[in-house]
Amino acid sequence: MIYRETGHFVTNYLKDREIFPLKFDKIIVILGLLFLYLYMPTTSEYMLSAHVIPILAVGLATVGLNILTGLTGQLSLGTAGFMCVGAFGTYNLMLRMPENLMSLPVALLLSGIFAGLVGVIFGLPAIRIKGFYLLVSTLAAQYFVWWFFNSYAWFLNYESSGVVAIAPHMYDYWGLGNLLGVDMQGYPARYLLALTICIGLTYFAKNLLRSNTGRNFMSVRDRDIAASVMGISVPRTKLLAFFVSCFYCGIAGGIYSFLYIGNVDLMIYEIDRSFTILFMLIIGGLGSISGSWLGAIFVYEFPILFTWVGDTIFQGAFNTAVVENVSNMVYGVFIIALLIREPGGFAALWATTKQKLRMWPYPH
Amino acid sequence: MDWVYLIEVLVGGLMSGVMYSLVAIGFVLIYKSSGIFNFAQGTMLLFASLTFVKMTENGIDFWTALFIAAGIMVIFGIATERYVIRPLANQDLLALFMATVGLATFQEGFSQFIWDSDVHGLQMSKFLDIGLLDPAPIFVSDHIPWLDILIPKFDIFASLVAGSLIVILAFFFQKTRTGLSLRAVSDDHMAAMAVGIPLQTVWAIVWAVTGIIALIAGLLWAERVSVSFTLIEAVMKALPVILIGGLTSIPGAIVGGLVIGVGEKLGEIYLADVFGGQGIELWFAYFMALIFLVFRPQGMFGEKLIERV
Amino acid sequence: MTDILKVENVTLQFGGVKAITDISFNVKEGEICAVIGPNGAGKSSMLNVINGVYLPQIGTVTYNGVERRSINPRDAAIAGMARTFQNIALFQGMTVLENIMTGRNLFMKSTWLEQGLNIGRARKEEQQNRLAVEKVIKFLQIESIRKTPVSKLPYGLQKRVELGRALVAEPKILLLDEPMAGMNLEEKADMSCFILEINKEQGITTVMIEHDMGVVMDISDHVVVLDYGKKIGDGSPKEVMANQDVIDAYLGVSH
Repeated sequence: MIYRETGHFVTNYLKDREIFPLKFDKIIVILGLLFLYLYMPTTSEYMLSAHVIPILAVGLATVGLNILTGLTGQLSLGTAGFMCVGAFGTYNLMLRMPENLMSLPVALLLSGIFAGLVGVIFGLPAIRIKGFYLLVSTLAAQYFVWWFFNSYAWFLNYESSGVVAIAPHMYDYWGLGNLLGVDMQGYPARYLLALTICIGLTYFAKNLLRSNTGRNFMSVRDRDIAASVMGISVPRTKLLAFFVSCFYCGIAGGIYSFLYIGNVDLMIYEIDRSFTILFMLIIGGLGSISGSWLGAIFVYEFPILFTWVGDTIFQGAFNTAVVENVSNMVYGVFIIALLIREPGGFAALWATTKQKLRMWPYPH
Repeated sequence: MDWVYLIEVLVGGLMSGVMYSLVAIGFVLIYKSSGIFNFAQGTMLLFASLTFVKMTENGIDFWTALFIAAGIMVIFGIATERYVIRPLANQDLLALFMATVGLATFQEGFSQFIWDSDVHGLQMSKFLDIGLLDPAPIFVSDHIPWLDILIPKFDIFASLVAGSLIVILAFFFQKTRTGLSLRAVSDDHMAAMAVGIPLQTVWAIVWAVTGIIALIAGLLWAERVSVSFTLIEAVMKALPVILIGGLTSIPGAIVGGLVIGVGEKLGEIYLADVFGGQGIELWFAYFMALIFLVFRPQGMFGEKLIERV
Repeated sequence: MTDILKVENVTLQFGGVKAITDISFNVKEGEICAVIGPNGAGKSSMLNVINGVYLPQIGTVTYNGVERRSINPRDAAIAGMARTFQNIALFQGMTVLENIMTGRNLFMKSTWLEQGLNIGRARKEEQQNRLAVEKVIKFLQIESIRKTPVSKLPYGLQKRVELGRALVAEPKILLLDEPMAGMNLEEKADMSCFILEINKEQGITTVMIEHDMGVVMDISDHVVVLDYGKKIGDGSPKEVMANQDVIDAYLGVSH
């Protein structure tokens, strides 16, 4: 019995609501945080730049999509568009505001809010349009946003190549670099900022999920008429879900451009990325915040792992096209198999594993 | 205003609308019979046309290739029903939609994995001796002197194919026993089962027929655009088409396609300046559909739902 | 006692089909009013008109002294109407506790920001409302299934959870749509006790659609009989039982 719940009694309702009710969980979480904050930054630059930071970015977007699709039941194919708003927003705030006024964390937050507002605009039709019909609104968002930033060169500071590199000074905020003697453009510093934002927003999402707002979201997803009969304002709830979701996606876009690739590139935010994030959500499990992270890790890491297998075992037999095609096949098979066997995705598999650990070593 | 130019634009729009409708018909068929929003329609087009083109490139003659490709699509359709749709029969529609997203992803990877990821052209006139496949366009002014416009012959061919497809489907639905079962199933699954209609067989037929429609549409699209993964995105435009049409109606798919096709062309000409940029056809169709749906949430021919509680 | 609810000349139609034709009746404060009638008589539609799910073409509903033709369901909830549905409309993806907690949503004053940060009011509110929910859970004797997803519960228990969700909103008037449909005798007895206790102890006016005449005669103070969308009887259970039209509707008439 490695993991057990026995002997754990809840003595008041506040305790019953804790995210990590078990002592064992709490210890794991503290160890995890120590690992992420103290050990991870000391690993290689490659580890941070090629694995951890991109996962933080896409994982955050998955959490965002989860709030809209998994919790509130509003299907969206516009995730990459909202990330795009966040990336361009952050860039333009950093570029155009006086340097002493704007810092990267604040710019990320503001462009997140801006992406949220754009989300609300494209969410307005959700008040009248339901179900699959709503796809058209989020697709409109995806294509319109992309076209918009592509057409108005001002937003890219008239960079004709369609890609603009981020100036090194934009990474320095609050004089922290000088104060601590750290290179703020270096990957450890970028990583720590991304990590802090992601942990904060994951905590926020978890709280929402177990509060009145989260219940309102789910009630609209499950039975909107009953929700309105309970006194829940369905339009307001939907728009709030759009706002919060797109806020997350916007910040994820900012993190992707600034902290991961280091430039603002429109090609990153094409509709393919919306789909990739939808795969992460489905594979991770709709409605589960930790599932979103698991899904993001799997979908992001699979092609890398597959390439590695090809390189080490088959002497580089797999070119990028093969990797991409096989990855797509694997995602497809995983999505279908999970929907059939375990609709809760990785999150539900994880819960089953925990259940097994509780019983271990006795199978029943 | 230049009327001749306007007519040319309208004709062009109608023709590209026909292309959207061809894709939309497949969507509608599956949605109508099972309530599944089949996101894999686009990749079915890709898979079918790529299979066909690769076979002809390897020296198989047109009709044999067409026959084999159709056979593969039928097998694929039946397999989809058996291994994807049937195990999910009692799940909600969102889960089924996501399953078709998975199917689409799989198919995209699979078709390019077994064939290749290159861009292939298709020129049917090389195989078939039909006047309409001749690349030279029709000069309408030869027949109507004041109307000085060009119509690609192929567009007329595509419209004829689309038209005959609809006639065949209508005949199939109205006159055959299978068609009757299909209509029964689309009205009420439970009731259809209760009177002894084998639901799963009917669905397998629908998926197989949809596969063949995807092949036909895929060949026409291939001739017009080329075969590559970009086909999938082009086909995304079928989404606003079926949503405007109302998801459950084949006439809706046709009218929706024409509306989007024409609207897009008119938008590009008359509204592009307003938006200060080119390429608004990237999103214009979605906006048209959006505005339309805000006023009529169930689409043009869709059934209005009275929610019972 | 004053009339808490007055339905006046309500007509509701869908397309060309008249679901309700010119119905009027009053519900007194504190009573249990049963609406009965054969299938398709327009009973559920009547409840849907009362709390604003359907909009009648003609007629008004006066509730709490305010007369109006239409109310939206949310405003009805704010004004103290709570209801259950014929074909259970619980939130299937949520647990029993979460479902009943949604019934308290109008008592939650903290903003989503406070809730997301889990600070101040949000924390306190969640706990206070949990207390109210636990009282209802205890009353309905469903403590042991608190954390079970409702989709896993049998029909009878789902009905009970739905009653709990309505009750926890502390309504002035409770609209119950066939609370005992599909239940066995024992479950019906339990449910009748709950309804009676809610009415007598907490004084909540109850409008209830029910098919079981035994239950109706036993627990209701006032019976309204509908048939083919028209009102054919209105009065105390005894009066209604003696009404020739009602007997005809239920037993059929020889022509």
